[in-house]
Amino acid sequence: MIKMLGVVLLLVSSGVFAAPEVVITLKDHLFIPSKIQVPADKKIKLVIINQDPTPEEFDSFDLNREKVLFPGRRSIIYIGPLKPGEYHFFGEFNPNSAQGSVIAVAEGNDHVD
Amino acid sequence: MRKLLALLTLMYSSLSMADGIVVDKVYHPYILPNERKLEWRFMSRQSDNGNLLGQRLAYGQALGENLIMEGYLAFERDTSDDFGLAAYEVEVRWQLSEQGKNWADWGVLFEVEKQHQTEVWEANVGLLMEKEFYRSSLTVNLFTVYEFGSQIRDEFETELRAQYRYRLHPAFQPAIELYTGEDFIGIGPGLMGVHRYEGQKQLKYEIAFISGINGDTKDHTLRFALEWEF
Repeated sequence: MIKMLGVVLLLVSSGVFAAPEVVITLKDHLFIPSKIQVPADKKIKLVIINQDPTPEEFDSFDLNREKVLFPGRRSIIYIGPLKPGEYHFFGEFNPNSAQGSVIAVAEGNDHVD
Repeated sequence: MRKLLALLTLMYSSLSMADGIVVDKVYHPYILPNERKLEWRFMSRQSDNGNLLGQRLAYGQALGENLIMEGYLAFERDTSDDFGLAAYEVEVRWQLSEQGKNWADWGVLFEVEKQHQTEVWEANVGLLMEKEFYRSSLTVNLFTVYEFGSQIRDEFETELRAQYRYRLHPAFQPAIELYTGEDFIGIGPGLMGVHRYEGQKQLKYEIAFISGINGDTKDHTLRFALEWEF
């Protein structure tokens, strides 16, 4: 068991990398910008700053992520690697206004395949 | 993928294997703050010896941003058709790493169970791992169980559970599940999904049909779970 936990601690603490970073602001229940373009096949670090006085929950089946965005805090969400395409996300508490998408673009392309 | 298989082989080969049926649930390592849930699990095992039926009712609540506690009541019907409360259980699940940050995502589970009306206890430590491959995810649970009490011989056991899931649609995610223990190796298809309601409310379901592949006789298990998050 100790051996197993040692292996796990090593793996949990490793793998920290300099992922490309994208900052999104949540204000008045809107993600700004609502569309972001990122390179395909790479991990991306999304930094979401919730400037609203209420919590929000980032939700995306496409990106396989759910994360509570506490008011006044910077939340970090790691996504990808993604194949080229468009991936939608929304805020669970304000799904009509808090919407956005991540557009993954293959290296060398300006547009989604 | 090779790295993952090598790691699992290394960890698994260093432990003894478990006895008994292990078809239950494959745990994911993720926790949501403010998460509260009610859960119902159903398991029916059909073998040449008859039918065993198990059901579990649970309530869970997040205790922090990375920690959730759940309490269970376990009911069983044995081959003599006696159905009733069989055990109580408390479980704590802890998310160890931020989803997507590292090579894989990690969590750990601690569980204590007492059999109803007998002095039989079980302490369980489980390692939870999930690795994402574009639209599919591989989840692996490795449990070490210690059974003790005045009415049982103290012993260690281990169990391995795995699930490979393709995220086709929120309500329709096909999977393959694998369960192993000393007396049982089973594999079979599964299906799971989620339906979202307003806010954090969502209903999740899981169903799987696991066939024993290591014995000469019939040994099938149907498992079903419903989870209401609110």
